[in-house]
Amino acid sequence: MSRVARLGAFIFVTLTILAAGVFVIGSKAYLFRSTYQLKTQFDNVAGLAEGAAVEVGGVHSGTVHGIALPHRPGEKVTVTIDLDKVTHEIIKQDSIASIETEGVLGNQYLAISFGSSGQADVRDGDVIQSKPPLELSELLMKTSNILDSSKRAIENATQATAHLNSVSAKIDAGQGSVGALINDRALFTNLQRSTSTLSETMVQAQAGVTDFHENMEALKHNFLLSGYFKRRGYQDTAELTNNEVERLPTGAPVKTFTYPPKQLFNSKDSAKIQNQKSLNDSGDYLASGQFGIAVVVVSGGSEGDTRKEMELSEARAMVIRDYLVEHFGFDDSHLKTLGLGKQLEATSEGGMGTIKIMIFPVGSEVPPIKQAPAGVASKVPADKGLEASETAGPRQ
Amino acid sequence: MSDRGQTAAAAIRPQVQGLRATHLSAIVNSATNLISGLFEWFGNLGIFLWQVVRAAVTPPFEWRELIKQLDEVGSKSLPLVALAGSAIGIVISLEARYSLGRFGAKSMFPATLVYSVIQVMGPIITGLVVSGRVGAGIGAELASMKVTEQIDAIEASAINPYRLLAATRILACILMLPLLTLAADACGLFTGWFAQAIVEPLSFHKFIESGFRGATFSAFLPPTFKTAVYGFIIGLIACFQGMRTRGGAEGVGRAATNSVVLASLFLILADVVLVKFILVVFP
Repeated sequence: MSRVARLGAFIFVTLTILAAGVFVIGSKAYLFRSTYQLKTQFDNVAGLAEGAAVEVGGVHSGTVHGIALPHRPGEKVTVTIDLDKVTHEIIKQDSIASIETEGVLGNQYLAISFGSSGQADVRDGDVIQSKPPLELSELLMKTSNILDSSKRAIENATQATAHLNSVSAKIDAGQGSVGALINDRALFTNLQRSTSTLSETMVQAQAGVTDFHENMEALKHNFLLSGYFKRRGYQDTAELTNNEVERLPTGAPVKTFTYPPKQLFNSKDSAKIQNQKSLNDSGDYLASGQFGIAVVVVSGGSEGDTRKEMELSEARAMVIRDYLVEHFGFDDSHLKTLGLGKQLEATSEGGMGTIKIMIFPVGSEVPPIKQAPAGVASKVPADKGLEASETAGPRQ
Repeated sequence: MSDRGQTAAAAIRPQVQGLRATHLSAIVNSATNLISGLFEWFGNLGIFLWQVVRAAVTPPFEWRELIKQLDEVGSKSLPLVALAGSAIGIVISLEARYSLGRFGAKSMFPATLVYSVIQVMGPIITGLVVSGRVGAGIGAELASMKVTEQIDAIEASAINPYRLLAATRILACILMLPLLTLAADACGLFTGWFAQAIVEPLSFHKFIESGFRGATFSAFLPPTFKTAVYGFIIGLIACFQGMRTRGGAEGVGRAATNSVVLASLFLILADVVLVKFILVVFP
């Protein structure tokens, strides 16, 4: 090989290496691709350097072209970015630039988020929005604050545990009421004795209440007081709702007997029945047994206290039912009452309401029995409940 | 006894003082000579440089001699430079793998290798190897021409020896050093990658990709082309030492040694200034 050829080969090879190096670095700096420029502004670029990588969606797509400090305080640091033309379709006006770090202590690079599809395209030289960088020092400060508060919390917990410890120790040593309860057998025996005494007392009190009830019953029949009950027409308010249904059965009645209250009761506010004979037609019908269920429906007048009218209508229905059951032979479980109380649009004459005995055919559904109002007739079930709890212990 | 001793001491004292004075003046003299010799050397170097530059810029140009020297400095140095670069690549690779592994920064391996080879090791190793081979060669060649009065003969035949001998060699060094550096860099990177890849798999593409991530032209071109300054130093000092030689074979040997030693020394000193200069001018 001649001297010149050898020299030429040497120069060719080394210049090829130079070209390769230039090309590799140049392609990193996007020197040989068509690019466009964007700008963004930060208060603090956190060490971002010129020539740093720009990533769009995590793909290296450009470089930081320049970083310029502001001319006045209060303005921001402007970062100029060269971006590959292919990202032009992804980056929109609402894309956000942020400064990120590779790993914890790696290089800084600029990340640009995708834009929304509805937004306008960016033009060369546009300024896009930015997000302040997360600085490690700031992060460490926050972490330090968290650690401080955790420390306080742990100290509190330690204190609480210590208190708990001392309380348990006292209990264990038999100090204080709880300690005595746990450790002192005598106190426990005492407590047990008191409980059984209390139980006996309750049984005696129960007996006393029953006696009192019987005394009251006797008193009602006493000649001095019986006049009041006679005038009223019934003895026991608690029995008013014993056979009362919540509503009428569904379906049409086969027969309805209607009576004006004036004809059956001697005064406007009394449930004492008079003129019983006029009920005989309905009584005869019931005695024939051709029915499924019958309901005595009594509505009150359009005047007077709502509560009293309710009680009066219920009482009248009960009195009528009692009369029919006593004087005619049929299955009394099929005869129910329904007091409607005060009816503002009372249809009957004199605003005293109406009395109807509605007969429903065989196969009609039986409406549920009305629950007794809380204040009036919880006496009997309550008594039973108390007895049950005493005798049977745990019920469930 | 004490009497005799005292007289003896009294007799010696002025002699010792006289001896001290002679030594001191000798040291001062030699220091002065050294400093003046240094300045003289620099002065002669300056004059020599001026003569070379004046001869180089005036025609006729010695193209044939230039091509011969380009081949001598460039092509013939290539195997040596390539070997040195390869060795350095392997050494950096081994060292970097170990020390980066200690910091858990193995992913930085390609970048570490690329930066070490391209910015520091490639240029300086090339400069030192060329200063050894070419500097010694030029120094010895020109010195032997000088002592055998060939240079005087050239001058007598109306050919400027500065143009024919010095300018062509210095120019050849300036032109070839950057190219040799590129060859050393390429060999260093390749062997560095190879030394890593036989230990753990790493594709060459991935190596180049991550090694040159964030690399800029200022990390590549200034360190490569600063070796032109190395070339200038090597050529200048070797030619100067060769052409000012006196005496016979001894002078030739001295010229060759001085060429290499001084060229290497000034090359490293110049590197200090150049690195700072590059950092300031190409941030």
